[in-house]
Parts: sequence; C-alpha cells; structure tokens
Amino acid sequence: MMKKIISIVVVLVTLAIIVLLVLDYSSVRPDKLGKNPYAYNVDEFRDVDPFLIGYKETRNIPVRDYQAGAIDLADNLLWLTGDAILEAITPGGVRQLRAETGGAGTCMEVVSGAVFIGFEDHVKRYDRKGNLVTAWKSPGEKTVITSLAAAGDEFLFVADAGNRRVLRYNFEGVLLNEFRGQAESDAGHGFIVPSANFDLIVNSYGELWVVNPGRHAIENYTFDGDLRGFWKLSAMTIEGFSGCCNPAEIAVTSDGSFVTSEKSMVRIKIYDASGKLKTVVAPPEKFREEGKAPEVVIDQAGTIYALDFDRNTIRIFEEIKK
Amino acid sequence: MAEDKAFNRREFLHRGARLTLGLSLAGVGAVAAVNAGGEKYVWQIDPFKCTQCGRCATDCVLEPSAVKCVHAYDLCGYCDLCGGYFKPGVTELETGAEKQLCPAAAIERKFIEEPYFEYVINEDLCIGCAKCVKGCGSFGNGSLHLQIRHDLCVNCNECSIARVCPSDAISRVPASEPYMIKGDFTENQEGEDQA
Repeated sequence: MMKKIISIVVVLVTLAIIVLLVLDYSSVRPDKLGKNPYAYNVDEFRDVDPFLIGYKETRNIPVRDYQAGAIDLADNLLWLTGDAILEAITPGGVRQLRAETGGAGTCMEVVSGAVFIGFEDHVKRYDRKGNLVTAWKSPGEKTVITSLAAAGDEFLFVADAGNRRVLRYNFEGVLLNEFRGQAESDAGHGFIVPSANFDLIVNSYGELWVVNPGRHAIENYTFDGDLRGFWKLSAMTIEGFSGCCNPAEIAVTSDGSFVTSEKSMVRIKIYDASGKLKTVVAPPEKFREEGKAPEVVIDQAGTIYALDFDRNTIRIFEEIKK
Repeated sequence: MAEDKAFNRREFLHRGARLTLGLSLAGVGAVAAVNAGGEKYVWQIDPFKCTQCGRCATDCVLEPSAVKCVHAYDLCGYCDLCGGYFKPGVTELETGAEKQLCPAAAIERKFIEEPYFEYVINEDLCIGCAKCVKGCGSFGNGSLHLQIRHDLCVNCNECSIARVCPSDAISRVPASEPYMIKGDFTENQEGEDQA
C-alpha cells in the first residue's frame, strides 16, 4: 500500500515538474524575452581589427566631487572644468589648483596668461590661479558654446552650435568677426550642426580647423572665414565617421594629424592631415554603448588623455611600442 | 462539548464568509466610486524608458499594433544621413527599399532644402517595431520614438504589451494627457513626477 502511494506521489511530482518546465519555456514574461525580430544591429561595425589598434589604455584618473565638462592640456598640466569647478592636476593625478567658477563650463582653452571657459552662452576669462578676470557678453540668442581655441596670444575662436557659427574675439573679449562656413563649395552649405557637438582647433602651424559635424567633414578656414580646404569621411566602418554629428571632438598632434572622437558608436582614432586613417586609439568596446564622445587632448609624447563623460574619468592611452 | 465545538466552527465559518463578502463589496464599491468620480486613464509608453525590444509590434492585441512611431520634429536634425531611415552602413543616400531601415517602408523622406530632409511617419504602414527609434537614438538626436495611438488602442484592462515590456515603460496615464511626446515631456520632468 505504502509503495503504491509513493509511486503515485512520484508520478504526480514528476508531472508537476514537467508542466512547470513547459509553462516556463513557453512563458512571455519580460525576463524571458526572446530574440527581437526587429533588432537594430551594428555589431559588425563595433568590431575593430586588432591590427588597426595602435594604442593601449594604461591609466585612469577619476574626477572627484563634480561632473567634468571639459579638459585641456597646457604646461604639462591637465586642466578641467565642469560643475562650478576649475581644476588643474598633474598627469599623475596630483591636484595643483581648484577654484570655484559658479557655473557649468562646457569647454575651455588654457593659454600662457589666461584660462578661458565657455559656459552655455558666454565666455569667462580667468587668470592661471583661477581668479575671474572678465565675463564676456553673450553673443546673442540661442547661443550654445561648445568649443574654444586660441590662436597665439591674440585671438580666441568660439564655436556656437546654437547658431551654427564661429566667432573670433580678441583676448579682451571684443568680437572681431564671425562666419557660418562656406556655402559655395562641396564642403557643404555652411556649418550643419544637428546637436551640441561642434568643435574647432588651431594647430601648431596656426591653422584653424572646424568640424562640420553634419557633413562628417573637417574644414580649414582662414581667420576671416574663407574655406581653404577640407576632408570628409562618411562611413559607419572604422575608416569614417557615422551618425548625425561626428567627429564630435578633435585634437591635433604636433605634426598636424587629427585625433578624432565620436559619439554614439564611441571610438577614438588618428587621421593624418589629409584624412587618411593612421591608427585606432580606442575601439567602441572600450566605451559605453551609445555614449558621449570623450573630449581628447594629446601631449608632446603622443599620450592621449580622453575625458570620458559617461564614467567621469580621464582615460589615458599610450602608443603601443612595436 | 463536541456539539459546542461544531457550533463554534460553523459560526466561525459563517462569520468569516460574511466578513469576506462585506469587505469585497466595500472594495468593489470604493473602486467604482473612485472610477465614477475620478479621471480616466489610458496606456502610454515612456520614451525615456523604452528599450526598443520589438514587443510593441508583436504583442499588441491589435494587428498591426496600436503602437506607432511618432516624430518630435523640434528635436530632429533633418539630417541627410538619418540613422532612423537608412540601414547601418549605407553610404549612398538613396531611397531604394534596400537602403531603408524600416521593414514596413513607413518612413517618407522629403527634401526640404540642401542638405536637409524631413522624415514623416506613415502610420498606416508603421507596425511599431521601433527599429527606426533605435537607429535614431543611436546615431541621431532621438527624435523618433514610440507612442500608443489612442484612436487605435482599445485600452484593454491589462495591456498585453505592458505585461511583457522588459523595461516597464508602459503605464497608465491620465486620459487628459494621453501622450508623452519628447520635447514636451522630458526625462527630468519624469523624475519630478516620480518624486
């Protein structure tokens, strides 16, 4: 009798387990999400040939206590600004200066006698100790300042993404001229800036280069705003730039090559002055998927400092010696 | 003694049944009173929580789904190379079907002026799969997003998509404000609401 009862119990338990397994297998619970038949897949573009990668990440410097908004490199110091802070640290991470700015800086340029910080719609000039010297007047409505670049000790170029223009000031804050890109060439119809990603740089030869992000182009202008040349590369593959607003950030090496940083499919690369891909610094797998473009600066030794906004960390990449 | 126990047990069961019935009726009455005097609610998708899993297309009781892609034009960059319109990797920006990301060809690309293009959703064709939403969010400004269209939705008591949504992006919202359009509705606003 007991054996019969045990047998019945065993059969019932087995049946219950089978039913539960079947129900679980056929469940449509959110945590049992099956394959998405409409998946948007860019994995093939995220994979980068390891032979193209010429740099490796060697160190990190986390930013403490505030969200960093911009980075610059001058006199062997890393300068940072962000939520109401101006800070200077050594490449080893030792703090040399920390000052209050009273606003969220989005870009900065450090020259021998001054620190310029771009806030949303205006520029402030500080001395190298972090004391406010002057606050410049906003250049107008809809201004969204995204980048600053100094030419010597004379001019400061300001990128205004909100009005898709470049402004040239002297160091005293006097507006000298502005331009909106060249409309008569293949480079595009003026600056096309779909989002607040609009960078510019003055290289070691004193040349002004402006990113035209909607065209995936990097354009060379005279200080008066005349187009001298450009190169552009639209491609989701590693050779080009993808999406609506790339490259979102650029830096220049001493030989005139460009370090580019892209948003969305985040990747950092180096191109020669004519736009030929030289090497990959950091592939997409290094960054958060659909992340912000890190701001990049490069020192004389070729070490690249990438301010990763998503991690609020300075990530340091050094060339792999072969 | 045994009779007393039986009586007590019977009395206990009767009282319990009466109490349960009373509470149930009170609860139903209270819910009915709230519904009669309060605001009506409808299902809607929070675009900032949506992860474009594709289930809006496959799990709605309607076919095609009551979920459609909507376009917040204020946020759009009117890009020539639109990540929501073209398949990944496309370099020739032509409108051929093989170049289009949308499996239902529900997005119309209209020339505005060089080099700007407008992208219009044909809701009769849209199946709510969110493929364009993912492409736009990944490589554009995120102006394309999904919404439940209330001229189509039958407002089921339990939304079959909400039941399977992996990001808990679908919830009831007041019928007086039935849409969560990006631009009008921001991620911060959502945070404030929750707070």
